[in-house]
Amino acid sequence: MRVRGSFLMSLYLFQTLNGLGLGLIYFLMGLGLTIIFGMMNFVNFAHGVFYAAGAFICYQFIAWTGMFWVGLFAGPIVVGLLALILERFLIRRLYASDHAVQILVTIGLMLILRESILLIWGTVPKNVSPPEILSGVLLIGDFAYPKYRLFIIGVTIVASLGVWLLLERTRFGMTVRAGSENPIMVSMLGVNTSKLFAATFALGVTLAGLAGGLMAPIRGASAFMGAEALGIAFVVVVIGGMGSFVGALAGGLIVGLVQSFTSGFWPEGTNVMIYSVMALIIMLRPNGLFGRS
Amino acid sequence: MLTKGKMIVAAASALMITSGVATAAELTIYNVASVSGAFANFGKQAEKGVKLAIEAKGKAAGMDLKMVTVDTESNAGKAARKVKAVIGKDDAKFFIGSTLSSTALAVGKEVNKAGGIYINGSGADEITGKQCNKSMFRWSAPTYGAVNASLTTVLDRNPNIKTVYTITPKYVFGEAMLENAKILLEKRGIKLVGNSYHSLKESEFSGYIGQAMAAKPDLLLLLNFGSLATNTIQQAVNFGLKDKMKILLVWSNGIDHLRTLGPKISEGIYFGSQYWHDEEAPANKEFVALSRKMFGETPNYPMAHYYQMTKLMLDAIDKVGTDPVKIRAHLEGLSYAGITGDEMIRAEDHQVEKYFYLLEGKAKADMNDDDDLAATLSKKKYFLPTSETGCVLG
Amino acid sequence: MSTSVPFRVHIAASVIIAAALPFLVPSTVLATEILIFGMAVIGCNLLLGYTGLLSFGQALFFGAGAYIASLTAIHWEIGLIPVLLLTILAGAILAAIVGYLAIRRQGIYFVMLTLAFGQLGYYIAFLAEEITGGEDGLLDVPRPPLELPLLPDMTFANDASFYGLTAVIFVLCFLMMQRLVDSPLGSVLKAIRQNEKRAEAIGYQVRLYKIAVFAFSGAITALAGGLYAMMLNFAPLSNIDIETSEQILFMAVLGGLGSLYGSVIGAGVFLVASDFFSELWPRWMLLLGLFLVVVMMFAPGGLWHGLVVGFERLRGRHKTSTEENDHG
Repeated sequence: MRVRGSFLMSLYLFQTLNGLGLGLIYFLMGLGLTIIFGMMNFVNFAHGVFYAAGAFICYQFIAWTGMFWVGLFAGPIVVGLLALILERFLIRRLYASDHAVQILVTIGLMLILRESILLIWGTVPKNVSPPEILSGVLLIGDFAYPKYRLFIIGVTIVASLGVWLLLERTRFGMTVRAGSENPIMVSMLGVNTSKLFAATFALGVTLAGLAGGLMAPIRGASAFMGAEALGIAFVVVVIGGMGSFVGALAGGLIVGLVQSFTSGFWPEGTNVMIYSVMALIIMLRPNGLFGRS
Repeated sequence: MLTKGKMIVAAASALMITSGVATAAELTIYNVASVSGAFANFGKQAEKGVKLAIEAKGKAAGMDLKMVTVDTESNAGKAARKVKAVIGKDDAKFFIGSTLSSTALAVGKEVNKAGGIYINGSGADEITGKQCNKSMFRWSAPTYGAVNASLTTVLDRNPNIKTVYTITPKYVFGEAMLENAKILLEKRGIKLVGNSYHSLKESEFSGYIGQAMAAKPDLLLLLNFGSLATNTIQQAVNFGLKDKMKILLVWSNGIDHLRTLGPKISEGIYFGSQYWHDEEAPANKEFVALSRKMFGETPNYPMAHYYQMTKLMLDAIDKVGTDPVKIRAHLEGLSYAGITGDEMIRAEDHQVEKYFYLLEGKAKADMNDDDDLAATLSKKKYFLPTSETGCVLG
Repeated sequence: MSTSVPFRVHIAASVIIAAALPFLVPSTVLATEILIFGMAVIGCNLLLGYTGLLSFGQALFFGAGAYIASLTAIHWEIGLIPVLLLTILAGAILAAIVGYLAIRRQGIYFVMLTLAFGQLGYYIAFLAEEITGGEDGLLDVPRPPLELPLLPDMTFANDASFYGLTAVIFVLCFLMMQRLVDSPLGSVLKAIRQNEKRAEAIGYQVRLYKIAVFAFSGAITALAGGLYAMMLNFAPLSNIDIETSEQILFMAVLGGLGSLYGSVIGAGVFLVASDFFSELWPRWMLLLGLFLVVVMMFAPGGLWHGLVVGFERLRGRHKTSTEENDHG
C-alpha cells in the first residue's frame, strides 16, 4: 500500500509539472493575442493560422538548410513580416470597427491563409524533428520529461519576460498604451501612432509564429492546427482577462493544469472541463481574472 | 486497298466518336471522398485510385466509363445530401468510398433505398454488422481482424510482453477496437494495466502518456487513427516511451503515417495496415506498376483501396451488366485475386475477407528507397464468424 | 426602408422565392437545403443584423433541433406538427437560457460565452453516444406524416413532396419573422444595435429584449435543424460543430445583415457556390475567405444591399433619361 501511495504521489507530481509546462506553452500561444487586444482593442481570429504558418515556415527552413535553429528563427520573423504587410493593407482599417466586424474579417483572413498553406505545402501534415541536442528525456523517478519541452518552457520564459519589459518598462510600451487610450492626443505629441500600432500588431503575430515553430516538433505542422490553437489561446486569454499579461499567464497555467489532471480521471472530458472553466470564470468575473474593465 | 480500308474504318470510327457521344452508353461511377475540408489529403489520393481503375478497365459491359466525385467536404451531412441529390437527379446507382464511419453509414442508407451498389472501406463495423444492408459491401478488414492480425504477431514476436496500456478514442470505433483487444489479451493471459480515452479533437497527449508511463506496460497499444495517432506517437517518442516499451498502432494509414512521422520516429514502431505496396500478389504488382506509370508515385492506402473497390465494381458490371440485383448476386461469395492476395466476399454480411498487414518502421540506413519505410512482418486474415456479426441482410 | 414595403409584397416575394427555387438550382434536395439554411441564417440575422449580437452558438440550436426532432420522430409516433412544435419549443428554451447567461457580458466576452456554450454542446453530444449516436450520428430519422383534421394523412417520402413541406414552413416562418422585425419590437432591437445605452436610458428593458430575440433565433434555428435531419434522414454530429456556426455566420454576412431577403440570398449563394467550386477546385474556401473580407470591408450591406443599390441606380438612370426626353 505504501508503495502504491508514493507511486500515486509521483504521478500527481508528474501531472502537476506536466500541466505547468503545458500551461506555459499555452501562455505563449495566448500572449500575442492578448497584447494585440490589450494595446489596440483588436480581436484577431487569425491568430491561430499565424501559429500554423509559423510551424510551416519553420519546417520549410529546416528542409532547406537542415538546421533547426534557422527554422526556429525564420518562422516568427517571416510571419511577423507577413503581419506587417497585412496590417498595412487590411488590419489598420479595422481598429475603429466593432468587435463583430473585426472577428468576421479576421475569420475571412484565416480562411485565406489556411487554404494558402494547403496550396503551398499540400494536404499531408509535415514532421519536424527536435535538434539532436534536445531530443532526449530527463528522468524524474519513474517519469521522463522531454528535454525539448523544457527548452520550450525556457524560451517562453525568456520571450515573455522580454515582451513584458518592452511593454511595461520602455517608452515604446508607454506610448502604445497611451495611443490605445487616446490616439489623437498621442499623435498630437508628434508620435507616429500608425507605425506604433503596426509594430504592436506584428509583435503579437510574431509571438504566434514563434509558438507555432516551437510546437512543430511536438505536434508536426498541419494546416488545421490553427483552429485548435486559436481555441486554446482565446480560452487562456479570456480566463485571465483580455489584454492582461499576468492574466494570460494565469489562464495558461490553469488550462494546462486542468487538462493534465482531467486526463487522469476523465480523459474524454478534457475539453468539456476547459470550456466549463472558461464559461464559469466569465460568468463570475466579468473581465476575467486580471482584466481591466 | 488495305490502307484505304483502314482509312475508311478510321473515318467511320472517328465519326462514331464524334456523333456517338450522346447515344453511346456511358457508365458513371460515383466516388464519395473528402476532397476538401479537414480530410482533404485523403480525397485527392482516393480520386486517383478510382481514375486508375477506370483507366485500366477502359470499358465495362461495352460502356464508356466516367467518374463523378461527390465531395463530402469532410462532413457527413453534406455527403448525405449530395448523394441524395445525385440519386434523385441522375438516378445514380454505383457508389465507391468514404472511410469516415458516419459518412459511410449515411450514404449506405441512401444507396440502399435507391437499390444501388455501394462498396466502401470504412472503419465502422456496423456496416457489415447491425446496420448492414443489401446494397453495402465493405472492403476494409473490421476492427476484429485488424486487432487480431496485428496484435497476435506482436505478441508472438515479443513473448516478454506481459502488460499492455491502451489509448483509445472515445466513440464507437475506439470502443470496438478496445473490446477486441481486451478479449485477445485475456485469451493470451496478458494484463491490461490501464486505458486512456480521448476525444476526437484532442491534440495534446502528454497527460495520457504520463498515465501510461506510470503504469509501466511492456506494450503501448494505440487504438486511434489519422492525425490523432501521429500526434500520439510523436509525443510518446518525445517522452522516451520507445526506449521503455514496444508501441503498436493498430489502425495506421500505412505509408502516409510513416512519411509524416519520418524514419527517425517510426523506426522500431509497429504499424497495423490494411495495405502495403510491397505485397507480392500479382494484382498488386500490376496496380503498383500502373500507379508509378500514371502518377509517378508509390500508391498509398486511400489510392489502393479505392482502386480495388472500383475494380470490383467494374469487373462485376462487365460480367453481369448494370442490374444491381445481378451484381449483388455475382459479388456474394465471389473469390478473386485482390491487391492483398486472395480475397473473398462473404455472402452473409458482404464483408470482404482480405489480408491485414503488420509493419515495423525501418531505420533510415536500412531503407532501399524513399518509400521503403517499413518491413512487412506478417499478413493475416481474421474474421468473426458471420453468426456473430449481428448482420441480417434483409 | 423595409417598413415602407407593404406586407403583401413580402407574401408575394416569399412565395415566389419558394416556388422558383427548385427551377433555379441543380437539384430539389439542394433547393430544400437552401430554404432550411435560409431559416437558420434568418435566426442568426435576428441576433447579429438586427440586434448586433455576434453568436457562435447557432450550431448549438441547429444541432439541438436536429436531435430533438430526430429523437421524437424515431421514438414517438406523434405526427409531424407535434414533432416540429416540440423542436421549436426546445430551441427557444435552450436559446433563452444561453442568451440569459451570455448577455450579462459585453463585446468579446459575450462572443466567447456563446462559443463556450456551443463547444460544450458539441462535446456533450459527442459523449452522449447512447442518445445522440455520437460520432456516427442518428441514422434512419423518419419524416413523420402530417395529420390534419378532415384531410387524409400526408407523407413526404420523395424529394419533391418534402420540398413542398419545407417551402410552406419557410414561407410561414419568413413572413412571421418579417412581421417581427417590422413590428415595434423590431425597432427596439435596431435601437439597441445602434446605441444600447441610449435604448436603456429611454426606458427599454434591453436585457429582456435580448433574451427574447435569442429565443426567436433559437426557435427558428432549431426548426431548421429539425427539418435538416428529416431531409437527410440523418442527424450527423457535424450539425452541432462550431463549423456549422461559422457557415451560418458566413451566409448571413454574405447575403447582407439587417434584411431577411439577404439571409435567404446568402444561404442560396453560399450553398450553390460551395457545390460548384468544390468540384472545380479543392481550395475553394480561399475564395470564400476573400469574399468575406471584401464584403465586410467594402460592402457591409452584403449581396442584398448591392442588389438594391444596383436596382435603384438602374431605375434612377432610367428616370433621368425619361426626364431628359420630356425636356426634349
